[in-house]
Amino acid sequence: MDDFYTVLAELEREGVPLAVATVVCVRGSVPREVGAKMVIHPYGQHVGTVGGGCGEADVIRAGMDVIHTGRPRLVQIDLTEDVTLQSLGVCGGIMDVFIEPWPPQETDDA
Amino acid sequence: MPEDDLRRALYAAVQQRDPVARVVVIAGPDALVGRQALVWPQRAPLGDVGVPAALWARVVNDARLAIEQRRHATHTYELDEATTVRIFIEVIGRPPTLLIVGAGHIAQPLAQVGALCDFRVMVVDDRPAYARSDRFPTADQVLAIPFDDLRAHVPLDRDTYVVLVTRGHQHDVDVLLQIIEEPLAYIGMIGSRRRIQGVFELLKTTHHLTDEQLARVYAPIGLDIGAETPAEIAVAIMGEIILVRRGGTGEPLSDALWAGKRRVHTWRTRRNRGE
Repeated sequence: MDDFYTVLAELEREGVPLAVATVVCVRGSVPREVGAKMVIHPYGQHVGTVGGGCGEADVIRAGMDVIHTGRPRLVQIDLTEDVTLQSLGVCGGIMDVFIEPWPPQETDDA
Repeated sequence: MPEDDLRRALYAAVQQRDPVARVVVIAGPDALVGRQALVWPQRAPLGDVGVPAALWARVVNDARLAIEQRRHATHTYELDEATTVRIFIEVIGRPPTLLIVGAGHIAQPLAQVGALCDFRVMVVDDRPAYARSDRFPTADQVLAIPFDDLRAHVPLDRDTYVVLVTRGHQHDVDVLLQIIEEPLAYIGMIGSRRRIQGVFELLKTTHHLTDEQLARVYAPIGLDIGAETPAEIAVAIMGEIILVRRGGTGEPLSDALWAGKRRVHTWRTRRNRGE
């Protein structure tokens, strides 16, 4: 199996600033479990998923912002829209996603 | 840079399957949000999250509890009367292992389903012709060793799920006797109900195993989903393992909509059989 942090350690070697999103709290029915993680990559090579669809698009947007500002953010994804066949976010729950900057490590050969 | 030390320690823990909790402030005073530290069950933590010592001691305690329970947690703590801090405790470092003993026709699809579910998969058999990595491309390790040597080669910890599917009941029982005292997450053993009843009776009389010990063994193995083919049986076994790991009822979720009414789930099969 590919462990998330093993993949992250490898991505880090590319030397680009990343953001890491983690589902930290859920209420009701949501698409992913607490602890689900995703790397947001500045050139779109994201890894993992926090649920797909609309909610994830919000997380990616916020992740880009976190990469640029270097400041972490807690984003709430609300999937409690009324149920119609057209609506996209109707799992029925709310999830909190914490997004933190993951800048490349300083390489010291000391 | 302490942040780099922390990441190096984090990646090392993952490599070494060393259970650890990453503690990170997700809400609260700006200066604290994003601060993180690593907490191990025994060792001193690496870093801190900038809260007063008394509160930090509570956080460390909660992190150790989370590791013990293998469950992530989010807690809100009072910093002072007007301020709270919300902390996420992420338990990492030891993915579950699916140890399949016996490399036959059930083991092959089971190794695939197990890998899909993010388990580290190990397959063991005493026959080198069966225990070959080309037969188990999704397994992390395939070992051809005598069953007597099992203990020396595999993890038998509380993150290990063992499935006994050897070619003969005698081997299943021999291995079961070797591992039954270990703090395993799951032991499942294949066999028909009648066969298992006979085996359990034998284990009680000749090996003095107690009902309490035998109750830990999931045998006959798997959820009752009417599985027939090896792949279906592998799904039934993995379903049971997920049930044990995550908790659940094993009932169709749709049953809740029809509260109290027992539904028949085999209409399609019955129709196909012409019943």
